[in-house]
Amino acid sequence: MTKKNPLTKALSQYSFILVFIAIFIVYAFTSNGLTWNGVMNIFRHSAVIGIIGIGMGMVCLTGEIDLSVGSMLALISGFAVVIFNLTGSILVTLLFCLAFGALCGCINGVLVGYVKMPAFIVTLATMLIYRSFAQYFCQHIPKDLCGGGSSVYRMVNSLSSYQTFYNFGNGKIATIPIVGLVLILVVAVFTYLTTSTKFGKKVYAIGSNEKGAAMNGINVDLMKTVVFVITGALAGAGAFLWIAMNASSDPATTGKSNEMYAIASAVLGGISMSGGRGKCLGILFGAMSYTVIDKIIVALKMDSLINDAIKGIILLVVILIQLAGPRLKEKFGH
Amino acid sequence: MLLEMKNIDKAFNGVPVLKKVQLEVERGEVHALLGENGAGKSTLMNVLTGVYPRDGGTVTFDGQQVEHATIKKTEEMGIAFVHQELNLFNDMTVWENIFLGKEIVSRLGRCNKKEMIRKASELFSQLDVKIDPTEKVENLKTSEKQLLEISKALFFKAKLLILDEPTTALNNDEIDHLFQIIRNLKKNGTSFIFISHKMPEIFRISDRYTVFRNGEYIASGSIREITPEEITKLLVGNADSFRDIYEERETGETILKLRDYSGPGFQHINLDIKRGQIVGLTGLQGAGSSELMQCIFGITRGTGGYIEMEGKKIPPSSTHKTMKAGIAMLASNRKENSVIPDMSLLENMYLAEHTLSAKQFPIHRKKEQEKYEKYRQMLNIKAQDSSDSILSLSGGNQQKVFLARWLNTNADVLLLDNPTQGIDVGAKAEIYKLILQLAKEGKTILINTLEIPEIQKIADYCAVFYEGRIVKILQHEEITEQTVMLYSTNAAEA
Repeated sequence: MTKKNPLTKALSQYSFILVFIAIFIVYAFTSNGLTWNGVMNIFRHSAVIGIIGIGMGMVCLTGEIDLSVGSMLALISGFAVVIFNLTGSILVTLLFCLAFGALCGCINGVLVGYVKMPAFIVTLATMLIYRSFAQYFCQHIPKDLCGGGSSVYRMVNSLSSYQTFYNFGNGKIATIPIVGLVLILVVAVFTYLTTSTKFGKKVYAIGSNEKGAAMNGINVDLMKTVVFVITGALAGAGAFLWIAMNASSDPATTGKSNEMYAIASAVLGGISMSGGRGKCLGILFGAMSYTVIDKIIVALKMDSLINDAIKGIILLVVILIQLAGPRLKEKFGH
Repeated sequence: MLLEMKNIDKAFNGVPVLKKVQLEVERGEVHALLGENGAGKSTLMNVLTGVYPRDGGTVTFDGQQVEHATIKKTEEMGIAFVHQELNLFNDMTVWENIFLGKEIVSRLGRCNKKEMIRKASELFSQLDVKIDPTEKVENLKTSEKQLLEISKALFFKAKLLILDEPTTALNNDEIDHLFQIIRNLKKNGTSFIFISHKMPEIFRISDRYTVFRNGEYIASGSIREITPEEITKLLVGNADSFRDIYEERETGETILKLRDYSGPGFQHINLDIKRGQIVGLTGLQGAGSSELMQCIFGITRGTGGYIEMEGKKIPPSSTHKTMKAGIAMLASNRKENSVIPDMSLLENMYLAEHTLSAKQFPIHRKKEQEKYEKYRQMLNIKAQDSSDSILSLSGGNQQKVFLARWLNTNADVLLLDNPTQGIDVGAKAEIYKLILQLAKEGKTILINTLEIPEIQKIADYCAVFYEGRIVKILQHEEITEQTVMLYSTNAAEA
């Protein structure tokens, strides 16, 4: 077997950057001149889906799937609004988001890891449950807790910390959106975790060969549970950013289809759905690619209903190129 | 002449793996294709069956020139490949497997189930194979699956069957049965290409042989005119690595103690193993020796008795806790239990150690790289770069990486379950030497194997299993193929 050219090796490993650049170039041409703020907005709009995508990516690396992240976002963000309205404390709200997210993820994790139910079924069920809870409690708790709205959780804007919280979600540091910085921070932490720690290696090992991992003394049941907990906590972090940005949460629409976008971002970023392969950095670019597509559609003044079709087609095309490329090379190479 | 392959060339990415090799198989003969791993046997068979196109040379089968072979075409011509990893559908019945894609159908396209079952049982009775055609394949024993694969090929009039290490998962009775069937078929003119690493079998069943080494044709001839020693010389190039390597060593205190230990597949095991000893465990497939190892390592749960490591009881059914106690296990079935296919050599080597040192969170790449280099040199692992995929190595070198994986955990006791499975002669000899070296350095080694010469070479004593119990302990000088077989088939009691 010949040694691969390092450049082609790097290109095949980081093809998600090429995809992003290609989409970005289209955006540059369709929008009326790129602005710094416009570009920075990509970060802002990728923040929530990017963070959820990282969680999804972690689950996918172990070879499992989590369909409940979108519903978790709705449930956690809704309850977080209530907590904020009750306490007026941003810190308590943040802690609640992370802890409640971890709890929601833990339910998934225990059922998958220890009870050994298929992740697809477990998280399909919790997807239904979590969203239903979000909608039900919105109607059945005292109105003043959810900001007086009828079907929406709304933060009470007379609270003293309201403005600080809102500024966190919508402000900028040195022209960069704060939520974008949070996203980059999360990606950095998880890139470190997956590439440079023993924990990360275990995650990959489980996805690559579960039985082999167990034979190496890895507690597979526990690891799977932990990964689902992390995914839940990240959904919690996403929910925290969501309410900071929007000051409200609509249980019917918040996070709708987000599980699908998260999976698509992860796959576009090169994460293998059967586990064991892929990079966290890829998910960032996958999520940003989809944000840019949204922006292209706005720039072209197209009906936003075509949005999902374009996203779906791009996903198919990218995977097609990834699969067909090596086969064509095999056939016509030498 | 049934098959004639001449001047076959094949290269992958410019690296030649077959250099002008030849192979001739007569009608009605068993032809042993011999060579170490990586000698080019599998590649040649894949060229023959049309998996890979050849770069040069000619193939004549049954008087016909074979050009642009495809798997389908060669199958129709009468070449059948019985793979090491059996290509059967576990969720389907036996007859469904036989007739898959070639179902007997009525005019309306409805499957004629009765007819197919009848034909299947007819075939089985002809071959003297006792398999129920309506049974689900997952319920069959490995040996039955093997026979099913062969029967399937014969049903569609295969003239040449390629058997790739057909006996690895079979016990002696099953091997006898398989060989009887092969002999019967031979009489009817069916030919076989027999690929095996086990010398006694080769001499029992084959008529002629062809030897490859490093992708080159070395020799061929009649098996009656050659001895196993001579073949070994042809295989490895020199027979130096094959001399007797056992030497007596000083052993220490008792380190591992098993008392009345029972679990799934074995009962009432009592063993005292001293530091620095090499203990062989053997018996027929399923006799309990492999099961015992898995239970010691916490993969299955013991049902009675206990194990003590250096005077401390080992908590049951936790691989991690067993590892912490200082026990390591090189599992059998490398592909399933050891290989982490998406990881590099270095990552594969360090995986087990990482679970022991999980509290030190970050990875020290430089330190790991140095350790890897140390083991690479010590074990003579033939690899280019530690970041290469584990799949880029041959079986023997993979196994050395996994040996390094467990040595790296600093375990005192090493459980080796069938450590030389699917490894070529040269690498085997190296592994034996390593085992002896490790024992000299104070490691305690338990080795489970069905290959008696292996135990003969390295074990201080050997425990023979029969139906879940130890029936005999043989000291080093008592270990011979005959005595071991005597006790493992329980012929001594009969």
